[in-house]
Amino acid sequence: MQLNIRDIKRNAHQVLGMILILSGAFMCYKALSLIANTSTPVVVVLSGSMEPAFQRGDILFMWNRQSRVNVGDIVVYDTKVRNIPIVHRVLRQHASSRKQLVLTKGDNNPLDDLDLYAYKQMYLDRAKDITGGVVKAYFPKLGYATILLTENPTLRTVVIGISLLSQLLSNE
Amino acid sequence: MHSFVSRVQQRSSTFSTYVIIASVVVAIVSLAQLYVSGAFGLQSEVGGIRPTLSMRTSRRFGSTGKPKENVRIVFDLDADLSPLFNWNTKQVFVYLTAEYGGAREDISNEVTFWDKIITSKADAKLALQNERSKYSIWDVKESFEGRNATVHLHWNLQPKVGFLVYGETVAHDSESSKPWFIMPREKNADKEA
Repeated sequence: MQLNIRDIKRNAHQVLGMILILSGAFMCYKALSLIANTSTPVVVVLSGSMEPAFQRGDILFMWNRQSRVNVGDIVVYDTKVRNIPIVHRVLRQHASSRKQLVLTKGDNNPLDDLDLYAYKQMYLDRAKDITGGVVKAYFPKLGYATILLTENPTLRTVVIGISLLSQLLSNE
Repeated sequence: MHSFVSRVQQRSSTFSTYVIIASVVVAIVSLAQLYVSGAFGLQSEVGGIRPTLSMRTSRRFGSTGKPKENVRIVFDLDADLSPLFNWNTKQVFVYLTAEYGGAREDISNEVTFWDKIITSKADAKLALQNERSKYSIWDVKESFEGRNATVHLHWNLQPKVGFLVYGETVAHDSESSKPWFIMPREKNADKEA
C-alpha cells in the first residue's frame, strides 16, 4: 500500500472537521456558562418531581446573575446528601442584606425538601447551595437522548460503534 | 467531503438551526399574545383571612428543639386566570404568599401559604370559600412577633416551548390596599415580654 499524500490530507481534514465541531459545541456551552454565570447553563430534567411542568428529558436554560431569588422561582441546587442537582421551586425566602435563606419544594411532591437537605439543615443558602441558578426558559424532550445514553451503557457502546464504523466505511 | 458522516452533520445542523429559530419565534409571539390578552393586569380578590396559631416541636414543622410558632390561614379567593391560557400554555402555577418584615429594616420574608397547578382553561376561574392553607408556616426565628403580613397572589406560566413567565394579580378595587393580616401570637408570650 502506497502512502498517498492526498489521502493523508483528506483524512486529516476529516479529523480536523470532527474536532472543530466538538470544540465549537464546547465553546458555545462555555460561552453560555460565562454569560449566565453558572457552571450548568443547560440542565436536563432527571426526575418527575416537578411534573406536570417538567418531565424527564426536558431541557432547561438557567440564569444565575441575581443575588436574590423570588418565591415561585424554579432553582437548581446541590445537596451534600445526593450527588445529582435538584430542580425545585422556591416555597419561602427569608432575606437580609447579608444573606438569603430559601425553602424549596417539588410541585409533584407532597412535602417540602427538608428531608433532602443535610442533617440539621433547615434552609438552603442562596449563595452557597443554589449553584445552578434560576430556570428562565424551557424546551421539551430534547434531552431524552442524553438520559438514554447515560443510563444504558450497551446503547452507548452501540451508538459509538456505529458512528466509528460509518466513519471508517465512508473513507473507502 | 461528501461522506455519509458529513452529510448527517450538515442535515442535523440545518435541522437544529430551524428548530432554534422556530422556538424563538414561538416564544416571542406567545409573550406578545399574553400582553394583548391582558395577562399582566389580572385582577383578584382575597378576603376573609383568618390566621390560626399552633406551637410545634418537630423538625417537620421547623423546630430545632424549642417550640416553634406555626401559622395556618383560612381565606376566600376570587380570580379569573383564563387569559393566561393560549396555544403555548402547558400549565399555570398559582400561589398565595404573605410578605412580612423582620427585626431590622433590611430583613424581608415571603412565604407560600397555598398553591395550585392549573392545566386547563376550564379550571382557570378560581372561586374559593373558606379555603384552608396548604402549608403550615414558621419563621427562621421562634416567633412571628405578631407582625403585619401583606397577601399576594402570584402566577407562573409554564409554556410548551419558551420563557417561563411570572406575574402578580392586582386587587379588584384599585383604591384598596393589598389584603393583609396580623400574625397571631400566643397569649402568654405577651406576659413574658
